[in-house]
Amino acid sequence: MIKSSSKKIKKPLLELRNVVKTYTLGGVKFNALDGVCCKIFDGEFVAITGASGSGKSTLMHIIGLLDVPTSGQVILEGNNIANLSENQLAQIRNQTLGFVFQQFNLLPKTPAIENVILPLLYSDVPNSHHYKIGLEMLKKVELSDKIQNTPGQLSGGQQQRVAIARALVNNPKIILADEPTGNLDSKSGKEIMDLFHYLNKKEGRTIVFVTHDLNLAKQAQRIIIIKDGKIVGEEKC
Amino acid sequence: MLKLKPSIDDLTKSAVRSILKNKSRTFLTSLGIIIGVSSVILLVSIGNGLKSYVAGQFESLGSNLLFVMPGTIMQNGPNGSSSIVKFNEKDVSNLEKIKNAVVLPMVETRGKVKYLKTEEKTAILFVTNNYGKNMNSLPSPGNGRWFTASEENQKAKVAIIGPELKTKLFGNSDFLNKKINYSGTTFKIIGMLDSKGRGIGGQSSDNALYIPLTVGFVIANSHDIQSIVLKADKKEEIEIVKKEAKEIMGKNYKKEDSFTVADQSQILSSINTVLNTLTIALSGIAAISLIVGGIGIMNIMLVTVNERTREIGLRKAIGAYPRAILLQFLIEAIILSCLGGGIGIILGSLGALGIDKIFPAKVTINSVLLAFGVSTAVGIIFGVAPARKASKLSPIDALRYE
Repeated sequence: MIKSSSKKIKKPLLELRNVVKTYTLGGVKFNALDGVCCKIFDGEFVAITGASGSGKSTLMHIIGLLDVPTSGQVILEGNNIANLSENQLAQIRNQTLGFVFQQFNLLPKTPAIENVILPLLYSDVPNSHHYKIGLEMLKKVELSDKIQNTPGQLSGGQQQRVAIARALVNNPKIILADEPTGNLDSKSGKEIMDLFHYLNKKEGRTIVFVTHDLNLAKQAQRIIIIKDGKIVGEEKC
Repeated sequence: MLKLKPSIDDLTKSAVRSILKNKSRTFLTSLGIIIGVSSVILLVSIGNGLKSYVAGQFESLGSNLLFVMPGTIMQNGPNGSSSIVKFNEKDVSNLEKIKNAVVLPMVETRGKVKYLKTEEKTAILFVTNNYGKNMNSLPSPGNGRWFTASEENQKAKVAIIGPELKTKLFGNSDFLNKKINYSGTTFKIIGMLDSKGRGIGGQSSDNALYIPLTVGFVIANSHDIQSIVLKADKKEEIEIVKKEAKEIMGKNYKKEDSFTVADQSQILSSINTVLNTLTIALSGIAAISLIVGGIGIMNIMLVTVNERTREIGLRKAIGAYPRAILLQFLIEAIILSCLGGGIGIILGSLGALGIDKIFPAKVTINSVLLAFGVSTAVGIIFGVAPARKASKLSPIDALRYE
């Protein structure tokens, strides 16, 4: 109780208020998210977990501004994102958030370095710095020997590390990862998780990741459990 | 106000990289445009070449000629109406009363000419002695001579041969004073004309045999004259001659449509009417090839739309604003379309030059602009439209697009 009251003074980095996301499948409406409330604070390492189809990925997409809620509010750094223009949203995705996908989503036939610096294309960083920054990021994920390799020439774990380097390239406050180890073997998966721990502890970045694996979720400081579109563990409104 | 990055420059570089990376897509998209542009240029150039060739042929004859023909211009020829009038020697002597013009009656037909075992189908022209001098048809020194007035009067069985017919019948061997056979009559070759250039579809004065008109009357067993050419002494007198000729002919042929006195511009304009129809037909074919090319472009753009939509989703997820995405795809489509259009223009023009060696073809700037404009427009519209649609999806919907 004392801990949570001390956090109430601190403003949350990200807050969801009564978020509902409705999908229509074959004429039938169902709520993938059914009134979700949660807060994520600066510097936290949070796992979102739940069974398949519980709505955890949908939640992640809404947190990552990749999708819009049917109703409810998403408040990022005090701004209601519903009030932001398409261009302002793009800028937040570019500057504040770093998204890591389960399927990596790298540009095919494109060298690792070019994939990493892709977000810089849409930032204010001068072109002359792009390569240097890209190289630095690849060094951080221990792929400085693979800069010219295309995704097809990299293993799954290496591809995911390229994707993480891409997520880091604009120095974002929050790293969001949707099943980042879901397509990887356990050894590569561990490497990715170690990287997230490093980014959280040494660089102070807020990490939110989705996993269906409870053992993996236990590595986080806090676990949000979601079931049938509702948060059942941890926080309540 | 947000500062919108990247610049056009960066987007162009990004577009070029994407074009180079997807070689097969680049090739197939350009191919559609290349085929569309080059086929339109080729087809229209053939139509235009034909037109300017015919116009050129008429101009080269000289513009002080008048043609007196039965019927009207459009109904002339073998399919003309049966009630068509036939001219005779009396008309010729009447027309000869015109002071400042030469009268050249003639009959033209087609027939088989035989030399030894070689037989050739050719144009046969029955003309008068003064045709050679007045129609610029006298044989060059060393190639024999035109027939004389006395030969004409005596119905001498002599003939002057066109250079193409000569080659067909005699090859490179000597032809002067050789005997050939036409319609059961034996003729002596007394001269060969200079080449005046090959005509359309092989029809030309080079592939013809010239025989005195008097002999023609004997062979045809008729004194009918097909047409009469009037050559005015001076270009300026052509209107006076035309008026006089109409008056003279009008006395004998009262029905308005029974004869025509036409100068070359009239004949040219009636031929141009036919050629314009041809151009319209060719344009129709060109339009079809443009549509086919356009569908080719469209198909490859639609086939790649899944891949592209996912790319757009990713770009949006990492912070590209919609306009940057549209601009990049627009630049990509413009580069691809212009590249294909440029190659198409080069290929089409080279093809037209090649065809020009056997058949008149002339590239026109209009056909180039039309073909290039339509193809690039199709390329750009179908390159950008899916991107526009995709850039409006939420990033996750675009990423999941199937």
